[in-house]
Amino acid sequence: MPIPPAIEFKNVTKTYGENTVVDDLSLSVPAGKITVFVGPSGCGKTTSLRMINRMVEHTRGEILVDGQPNTGRPAHELRRSIGYVLQQAGLMPHRTIVDNIATVPVLKGVSTKEARAQALELLERVGLDRSFAKRYPAQLSGGQAQRVGVARALASGSSILLMDEPFSAVDPVVRSDLQNELLRLQRELGVTIIFVTHDIDEAITLGDQLAVFARGGRIAQFGTPEEILRQPADDFVASFVGRDRGMRRLTFASASDVTIHPLQALETPWQNWQLKVEDGKPAGWLVDGRLIPGGSLYREGASLRDALDSVLSSPSGWGVAVDNEGKLLGLLKSDDVLDATETERQRRYGVGA
Amino acid sequence: MNWLSSNLDYVAQLAALHVLQALIPLVAGTLIALPLARLAVGRRRDGRSTELSTTAGKVRRATVINSAALLYTIPSLALFVLMPLILGTSITSLLNVYVALSLYVLAMMVRSSVDAFESVSPITLEAATAMGYTPVRRFWMVELPLAIPVMVAGLRVALVSNISMVSVGAVIGIQSLGTLFTDGLRRNIPAEIIVGIVGTVLLALVLDRVLAALGAWNTRWRKA
Repeated sequence: MPIPPAIEFKNVTKTYGENTVVDDLSLSVPAGKITVFVGPSGCGKTTSLRMINRMVEHTRGEILVDGQPNTGRPAHELRRSIGYVLQQAGLMPHRTIVDNIATVPVLKGVSTKEARAQALELLERVGLDRSFAKRYPAQLSGGQAQRVGVARALASGSSILLMDEPFSAVDPVVRSDLQNELLRLQRELGVTIIFVTHDIDEAITLGDQLAVFARGGRIAQFGTPEEILRQPADDFVASFVGRDRGMRRLTFASASDVTIHPLQALETPWQNWQLKVEDGKPAGWLVDGRLIPGGSLYREGASLRDALDSVLSSPSGWGVAVDNEGKLLGLLKSDDVLDATETERQRRYGVGA
Repeated sequence: MNWLSSNLDYVAQLAALHVLQALIPLVAGTLIALPLARLAVGRRRDGRSTELSTTAGKVRRATVINSAALLYTIPSLALFVLMPLILGTSITSLLNVYVALSLYVLAMMVRSSVDAFESVSPITLEAATAMGYTPVRRFWMVELPLAIPVMVAGLRVALVSNISMVSVGAVIGIQSLGTLFTDGLRRNIPAEIIVGIVGTVLLALVLDRVLAALGAWNTRWRKA
């Protein structure tokens, strides 16, 4: 018995005068998963998202939310039942953080006291200290504001979360943190998330399912990230997933087969390069008495893409493997990594080896 | 100084009348200006759309703002004299001042309230709608509180302008601190004139500070 979809678009069309923004969209969004709408700007992905909670009213067709047509009740009631995270957090500048998070429960008639108590829990849940509660939005950084935005959406108690390019305005480091937090929250809470982005890397990182939108509001391909990278449906999808497709695909391959060479076991085949280790952690390479910062680290259990990058970015040509605490495990040899990609390729197409 | 100490009660009474004549129109005019201004602003665009407001919207906005501005060009003395004819009140009735100054406040506050409403970020309004605010609740809980900073700036100008215009009423015999100028001039008592001027300025300064402080207290979130 398949789980009924959380949201279903049935032949949905949106036109503005002569302009068709979304054209005959039919799509089932699976419950309890992250579905990413990805595509170039102006392709109707945001419009499609906003039609779900009727921030935009569709012209034709039907949108089912938990099996019910979304036009079956007043728009404000529907919106209170669906979490929504906006691009620029969109917090109420005149309310404290705790009251911002408590917005929807208060609108629903929960007492302020109760709503605030719940808001404090959510604040911690999204990784912010309770001391933030009494501050105002202007006192937060972009990343912190967006965490509050997520907490506010979760406070609706909804099993559905709509996210409209929520991380596009923060710097790459914070962005990556937020993405990981979102994945953790989604695993913990099992909510259905629809996430809009124009960034294919973000889509691959987050999505269980991707819907690739083409211009004119048409879905060019719907499938798992791996399917889309492996077999783009057409030239548009192929060009959109980009020329780093080969590298991106390695994201889905495990590097667990790649041998990690213990530091001591090797007879310095990297010639005069010497790995500097501080407190068991790698701290760059020494060569001719100079210290050169190390490349990216391969964390045990990460993907083949990370393994390859650690090799390519290492000054010595040897990738550095660490455990989850960042302690040195050993070194990766570029030949081993390339062999692993070869094995992966053969396994993928079921030939050779 | 002697003049002041021997007429302290009289001056205090005039000052009280002066405050009354400045504040009542301020409140009344603002209360009328707010709905007009909100009407002129019309439906706010949402955060993502880039299309400009409709032609009908622009016409409505321009009509409201320009008629308000026109109102302001009527000379205050003329208005004070005209009021009894229109309202059927006696020439020295306080009601004349209330109505006339309310019109000036209206003229000023329509403009600054339009600016105030337009200063509220469309993204915030959109977020409020997306959270499930009904339009009415969104106005009272989000839009109006966020419009306060710009509105207070307008209120301060209107208040100070009111305090100065209340004095004009003295010319036609309506009691205020302005009475000290006309009376002092007629009876040639320079001290009385000086007390009138200093009193008016002090009143304007003090009330302006109070209003600014009230505004700041209401918008603590901005100092963050």
